[in-house]
Amino acid sequence: MSKSATSQAAQRKSAMSSLLGGGKTNRILVIVTFMFIPLLLLAVFTYIPFLEMVRFSFFNRTYLDEGTFVGWKNYIDVFSRKDIFGSLIVSVYYMGGAVVQLALALFFASLMVFKAKGSSIYKACMFFPYLICGIAVGFIFKFFYAHGYVLDSILGLFGIPLEDCPLWLQNQNINNIALVATSVWRYTGQNMVLFLGAMMSVDNELYEAASLDGAGRWQQFKYIILPSIKTIIVLNLILSISGSLSAFEPPYVITNGTMGTGTYFVIMNRIAHENQKVGLACAMAIVLLGIIVLCTIGQNLFFKYVFKDGSEDDVTRAERKAAQKAAKLARRGGARVHG
Amino acid sequence: MKKLISALLVLTMLLSLVALGEGEPAVPAINEITLGTDFQDVSAEIKILTNRTDIVDTVYKGYAEQFMELYPNIKVTYEGITDYEESLRLRLTTGDWGDICFIPTSVQKAQLGNYFIPVGSFDDLDPIYNFVSDKSYDGTVYGIANGGTADGVLYNKRIWAEAGITEVPSTPEEFLEDLQIIKDKTDAIPLYTNFAAGWTMGAWDAYIWVSATGDPDFHSNIVHMANPFSDRGDQTGPYAVYYTLYEAVKRGLIEDDPMSTDWESSKGRLNRGEIATMVLGSWAVAQMQDAGDTPEDVGYMPFPITVNGERFAGAGGNYAYGINKNASTDNQIASLLYVKWLVEESPMFADEQSIPALKDAPMPDVLADFQGVTLLANNAAPAGEEDLFDQVNNESEVGLNNDDYPDCMILEAALTGSQTLEDLMGEWNEKWSRAQDSLGVEVNQ
Repeated sequence: MSKSATSQAAQRKSAMSSLLGGGKTNRILVIVTFMFIPLLLLAVFTYIPFLEMVRFSFFNRTYLDEGTFVGWKNYIDVFSRKDIFGSLIVSVYYMGGAVVQLALALFFASLMVFKAKGSSIYKACMFFPYLICGIAVGFIFKFFYAHGYVLDSILGLFGIPLEDCPLWLQNQNINNIALVATSVWRYTGQNMVLFLGAMMSVDNELYEAASLDGAGRWQQFKYIILPSIKTIIVLNLILSISGSLSAFEPPYVITNGTMGTGTYFVIMNRIAHENQKVGLACAMAIVLLGIIVLCTIGQNLFFKYVFKDGSEDDVTRAERKAAQKAAKLARRGGARVHG
Repeated sequence: MKKLISALLVLTMLLSLVALGEGEPAVPAINEITLGTDFQDVSAEIKILTNRTDIVDTVYKGYAEQFMELYPNIKVTYEGITDYEESLRLRLTTGDWGDICFIPTSVQKAQLGNYFIPVGSFDDLDPIYNFVSDKSYDGTVYGIANGGTADGVLYNKRIWAEAGITEVPSTPEEFLEDLQIIKDKTDAIPLYTNFAAGWTMGAWDAYIWVSATGDPDFHSNIVHMANPFSDRGDQTGPYAVYYTLYEAVKRGLIEDDPMSTDWESSKGRLNRGEIATMVLGSWAVAQMQDAGDTPEDVGYMPFPITVNGERFAGAGGNYAYGINKNASTDNQIASLLYVKWLVEESPMFADEQSIPALKDAPMPDVLADFQGVTLLANNAAPAGEEDLFDQVNNESEVGLNNDDYPDCMILEAALTGSQTLEDLMGEWNEKWSRAQDSLGVEVNQ
């Protein structure tokens, strides 16, 4: 009974594969059928809206009203208006924060990779802020920084009187730093987990061998961990930089973009919603996309040429080509075997 | 007999409407129906959207129940929405959002007809209801305001009396001097700006119209004015309003750290007398009274500006009820009945102490301080210019009644001393004229 069922299944399978493997067209058909839904979703929810946004950026329009075609005017406005393009300066604070955040994450991850006691609880605690939604984080810190509230009370315990505490959100020398600190608090744990994941994949024998050779923790970090997680560091750096260019939640929730804390996104939100200049806001979004793409390419080139040595994924072009050729051959061979 | 006649009347009306042509809705105007008698046979389930999440399940539900006793075949349900404006902006475009909503401010006048059914003609409804012009376009009315509010200043009567002030101030200078006295003589915060909430700063824009000029046409004329924000030299006009804010901040008459303000707790603090004054519309009065044990201390005075020896205060409609154009005819009629009942027969305006929707209904007690003050609503813009103000306002990004940020900038500039008020108002004038230029608006010198 079961035997015949298996043989039937096997027959069906071979019939199926002969049908499907019959020719290139059939294979394409299968690929297209399976790809159709994901591609449709991708097109409907990503590319079509994006193209619409590009179209909007050439119009002077509101949400509900079609508006008129204005050519490049919105783009010229983005670059010429000081309140728009100048707001990118605020992002520098967030980039600084991103560097601090990566350093902290790297530090904590390396502490934990060497079997610390209670490391899983510690890990969970560090990761927890990332799970809180950004708006809630904003409200937490709104009260944290409010004059005479949490932070000032803590400082009070150390003997600093309330009058000497700065107004964290009002003082324009420190308010951006205060806001950046909230996003560092939120994302450090997540970065740490990413680093930790990469570090875990390093072969334990390497550490043993290194410690047998008399390498200390710092040397292990420098010569084993750092080279093997370079890719993930670069990835995190790219994510943090594009994240800092598009920082939105802390200034929007905590300060509403006032007192010089308005980031590019906050301004964009205001232009799109309060002033209903949807065309201009779309142009801003596209300019920001361009800036982020440029930053990413720039960072990639930077890491490629400055830290060329010791990186695993710096394969020369010839090698990569050879590998591709081999892969192709293998695939073709595989197909033939199946056929 | 009477019922039969009215039913016949309605029938002929409906028929004539149908005969009139395609696209004309078979729904009567709001002034043509008699509550309790007409349309007793209509059965429908209607959904009404509201921003008042605080009372949607208590007070509003009670209103719905009272109405359903009158019309048992109609079932009314409420849906409360936090972040009302934003959600509605998106939901309206789908067409399938319910039957009645508060028309969001982002719907410009010219677009009202795309989303809502007409409820009557302007000429018919203007003598009956307050604030009709707010939601009318091209002689047709699309929404009835849910009562209205007067623009003034909230204050704690006990604190002002303790400071020895017996007369309400009538000019910005007098007001600022009084605040100084309060600061010197009491422990209360003279003026609480609620800066961190944002919208509370945008509230200042409400005073630059009738309250500051005494001119109900100022709102429609400002689009044609050159430099409307300049100093008029006589403590009137928009400049005087923003001067009050700027100087109060500069003279240290506000809270210590505006960034740390909290709206919810500020209500109780005004009630208890920890805060002496707040500049907000009369809708806030009921909330302040409810927030503590001394509701009798909460007072409301007109904004301290006198124009040629006369006091004025702006009055304006609350959110207006609009009825979904895409709903079925039965639902539209049921919705119209409910809206009419709400604005004419429900106890809502007494409950909320606001100006009632009907022009001949009595005023609430809380506006007693407005004795001798002329209450005026902004007039509708002339035909053809209905959405010109919105256009100029949005294009200029001055954001009157719309964007809080420019008002926040005033406080910011005063606090840090980064800009004088003259400079700031100069910038607004410049933006305003640039918008007038780019829209090709005629400017009267």
